[in-house]
Amino acid sequence: MRTPHAPPEEAPQPSPGEDRLVRFFQYAIACTPVVFIGGIIGWVTHLIRTSLRLHDVPSGAIGISLVSIPVFITLMCVLLYVLWGILNDRRVR
Amino acid sequence: MAERLEVDELLLDPIRKTGRGFWIAFAALLGLIAWGAAAYLTQLRVGLGGTGLQQPVSWGFYVTNFVFFIGISHAGTLISAILRLSKAEWRRPVTRMAEVITCMVLLVGGGQILVDLGRPDRLLNVIQYGRYQSPLLWDATSITAYLTASTVYLYLPMIPDIAILRDNLHGKWNFLYRVLALGWTGSERQHQILNRAITIMMVMVIPIAVSVHTVVSFVFSMTLQPMWHSTIFGPYFVVGAIFSGIAALIIAMLIFRRAYRLHAYLKPIHFQYLGQLLLVMSLLWFYFTFAEYLTAYYGGEPEEMKVFWSKFTGRFRFQFWAMFTCNFVVPIVCLTRLKKNTIPRVLIASITIVIGMWLERYIIVVPSLSAPRLPFQEGSYAPTWVEWGELAGSFGLFSMFYLLFTKFFPVISIWEMKEGRHQAIGEVMERVKSYLPDTAEPATAHAGGTEVAP
Repeated sequence: MRTPHAPPEEAPQPSPGEDRLVRFFQYAIACTPVVFIGGIIGWVTHLIRTSLRLHDVPSGAIGISLVSIPVFITLMCVLLYVLWGILNDRRVR
Repeated sequence: MAERLEVDELLLDPIRKTGRGFWIAFAALLGLIAWGAAAYLTQLRVGLGGTGLQQPVSWGFYVTNFVFFIGISHAGTLISAILRLSKAEWRRPVTRMAEVITCMVLLVGGGQILVDLGRPDRLLNVIQYGRYQSPLLWDATSITAYLTASTVYLYLPMIPDIAILRDNLHGKWNFLYRVLALGWTGSERQHQILNRAITIMMVMVIPIAVSVHTVVSFVFSMTLQPMWHSTIFGPYFVVGAIFSGIAALIIAMLIFRRAYRLHAYLKPIHFQYLGQLLLVMSLLWFYFTFAEYLTAYYGGEPEEMKVFWSKFTGRFRFQFWAMFTCNFVVPIVCLTRLKKNTIPRVLIASITIVIGMWLERYIIVVPSLSAPRLPFQEGSYAPTWVEWGELAGSFGLFSMFYLLFTKFFPVISIWEMKEGRHQAIGEVMERVKSYLPDTAEPATAHAGGTEVAP
């Protein structure tokens, strides 16, 4: 069994306002994967639409996207799992 | 935690104190970056005409640097992931440095394409009108995936260490550590989540890393240029990338070992193991190079033979044979029988390999473009100070990123070292027992009829 570590006693206690700000940034970090990877997936989708619109070998664009989009989605899921999982388990602290 | 931290206190020293050496390195790197910035500003002002690039050699130093830096990035995540996955216990002081190399070098490598564009505003065209049928865009996608995965793979194992920094350093950066620690308390549940995520990432990152350099090779092999249109370019590039990556990792480890006095953590045994890995990669690199040139020679196609002989005996012979010496002859001499003088020999081999691998990328890019298949006149390429400046600036930028990272975060994973001390020895014993066949006999062994005590 791992023992949770306690901060050293001499550590200055943060003010509630500072704590709220820290939490805000932490949840912002936890939301970053959705924004960043969502943006990439949106861009890939835009490229597929462009190739369809221009009849520019859409099969190629779709084929490559079929590989790349699941990779990005998996990355996003892992990130969300770990970031939200750690953030929502602060009971000991 | 407090008790153990005393043991690893040394790892926090570079963050707590800023020595004279740091400022000297900082100033030197700033000089290199300034040279690079001056070169880039000149290029922005006068265009690509200020460089040695011209028709038919439209890819010179920039694409060489791009392939080289992306190759170096394989140091990290791939090596770190493989070592973690194979539960190699000696990995503990090595993985963080390797992962940092990957992230930093990918930023610099990706930036080379922006520099090569000449006009950076044209990047918007790629975003708006990019064609997914082009290998160049496959490259952009796979490098983005690799950079994202590598950053995640670097950050996740850093969370417990950032929590240590949050609890032990109360200076002006404490706010940053508090944010990045994500409220880490070290609870069983948090460890479970983190370990699960790291396991998924290390499985994912290996195919992504292999795909990245394969896709980089597609940029060449999907064309019909002489000596580029080759099916083994994918694995050839991946082997070269891992080869140069290990060499760069060894150099970084030796620099920080000396600068931050990490002799107790980075022992000769680590360099011996990495040296052996380097020797294997050198032999593999030789095999792939041999196969690549053998298939071209066997085909005997006139356009290919023109490029072939320009490398062996023609105007690129100096670079070609220097590459061969750096990547094969020196490593073989230095890395066989590594028991004595391990560190100097591994260092010499690593430095020559980094130089040799840069030459290899140059030897791939420039000769083929100098003698193209299309009815162009044969061309030549002579880099100007702008390209040399970009090269120096790129190395400076990469080293600066790395240096700054070590100023904010421990360069060796503290919690993994602690875990190694507390749990790994018992775990390894259990693991070794599980590998051995189960016997009904009591734990005694017979050797030559003599009973040996367990």
